[in-house]
Amino acid sequence: MFEFLTSPAVYQFIRGPLVWLSFMIFIGGNLYKFLSMLSLAKKDKVVFPYISLKYSLRSILHWIIPFASTNWRKRPGMTVITFFFHTCLLVTPVFLIAHNALIKESWNFRLWTIPETIADVMTVVVILCALIFLMRRLVVPEVKFVTFGTDYLILSLAVLPFITGFLAYHQLLFAYELMGTLHILAGELMLIAIPFTRLNHMVYFWFTRAYTGSEFGAVRHTRDY
Amino acid sequence: MIKVERRPVSDPGIDENAKKLTPEQIEGVIRHVLEKESAGRLRTFVETCIHCGLCSDACHYYLAYKRDPSYSPVAKVRLTLWDMIRRKYRVDAESIKMYARISYAECNICKRCSMYCPFGIDIAYLMTVVRRICGLLGVVPQYLQDQGNSHMYTYSQSWVPQDDWVDTALWLEDELRMDIRNGRIPFDKEGAEVMYSPHSLEAKFKTNLLTNIAKIMNVAGVDWTMPSFDGWDSTNQAMHVGDYETMGMVERMHFEAAMRLKVKKIITSE
Ligand code: HEM
Ligand code: SF4
Ligand code: SF4
Repeated sequence: MFEFLTSPAVYQFIRGPLVWLSFMIFIGGNLYKFLSMLSLAKKDKVVFPYISLKYSLRSILHWIIPFASTNWRKRPGMTVITFFFHTCLLVTPVFLIAHNALIKESWNFRLWTIPETIADVMTVVVILCALIFLMRRLVVPEVKFVTFGTDYLILSLAVLPFITGFLAYHQLLFAYELMGTLHILAGELMLIAIPFTRLNHMVYFWFTRAYTGSEFGAVRHTRDY
Repeated sequence: MIKVERRPVSDPGIDENAKKLTPEQIEGVIRHVLEKESAGRLRTFVETCIHCGLCSDACHYYLAYKRDPSYSPVAKVRLTLWDMIRRKYRVDAESIKMYARISYAECNICKRCSMYCPFGIDIAYLMTVVRRICGLLGVVPQYLQDQGNSHMYTYSQSWVPQDDWVDTALWLEDELRMDIRNGRIPFDKEGAEVMYSPHSLEAKFKTNLLTNIAKIMNVAGVDWTMPSFDGWDSTNQAMHVGDYETMGMVERMHFEAAMRLKVKKIITSE
């Protein structure tokens, strides 16, 4: 297995074409999911008549700001964890120096980057938060009751790029070459999985909130936060 | 692995009717409701839910049953819709009985959980989809189905036909005049400001409530009226049954009554 992964052809494939392929699947898949959601929403008699920009934004804002909704305030622990988890999960890969060096190699531009030690800490934060999510699934009765294999799967898919990235950066467990390849593979798996698993909440979030925000605000004249 | 404890409750509307179901009927109805009738909201809500349990504390059933996880909002979806979907719609009559119990008796469609879910997932709506399936299969709590039938036969929830309605309001007006000189319960006044539409029971065994409203309207000097014809009852139990055909008829009748009377506002009770 490891020999297979470090053989030059496979190594080249994982680091080259597969990167592009997974980005294409990520973008294309999300686009497909978005369009199919849109066409189904048109068939649903109440979705479009209810939608209001003002109340969609009101709802989204109250839920993407920590403690801005009643339930975020009632669950401070979970709020802190989930906001740390998601912020680090989204920010670290995009603004990592190592990733931006690769972007510069390919397209000759780079984004603003974060110092390596901070990125390292953020990686650990993602891993720790994921561990807490895992504990919740195993221990908290109302979470355990609705946990399936797929929940562990998507949690692993989300956190594996961070675990492998951390190990590669600190040159732990396996040789850097192999760990790096595993890291890239994990990232690719995550990208490919997003559109086709419940990780696509990244896209759907905005639309479920927009609908419910509009129904509560424009139709029922009340709050949903 | 999962523990769902329920005290047995017998209800002829559920138990007897479930005996008549055939596997083909069950699969056909579920397929029809989930694939033909429901669209964007059903798919998106089911595909988005991350199974985090943050909606639990919203639900008064969950709280009242001492945080039994099988009463949490998302658990209700897990025990009904996810169950049907995972089993490719091939479920037995016992499952339908459980779906009916959960959707009719363990969720009152209050939407509080939508205000707790970070995605705003509308579990109340998902439970109405389950009710629709049970309603089409005829597996409905007997009392509720009886009210639905009453809407079909008498256009009111509690078996009060139109002539009884007029008769009741007339004797209430007589009694009202013992308290208020020349008090009126005005029927069919075209162009009135307000159409008052009572709860069906105000024409049956809670008539004192209609008297109270009449007193308020008379003393406050409101320009009000009520229809003497069908469409006077503001309730719609067919909606709760999942009988959307009757629900549509009842709702249309109600609004058409207001349009026929050319009123500006409808005031409903309860
Ligand atoms: C901007 C986009 C995103 C938004 C608004 C968002 C929002 C949310 C919300 C509201 C929850 C439920 C609360 C919780 O359990 O923490 C959640 C859970 C989760 N999110 Fe995201 N998310 C986004 C992107 C992502 C991405 C890109 C990933 C990973 C690839 C991800 C992975 C997860 C995981 C694994 C959970 C579940 C944790 C558990 O098992 O309980 N999210 N997300
Ligand atoms: S809508 Fe149903 S599940 Fe949600 S809080 Fe109300 S009763 Fe509970
Ligand atoms: S309905 Fe919302 S709050 Fe409840 S488990 Fe699903 S995502 Fe979480």
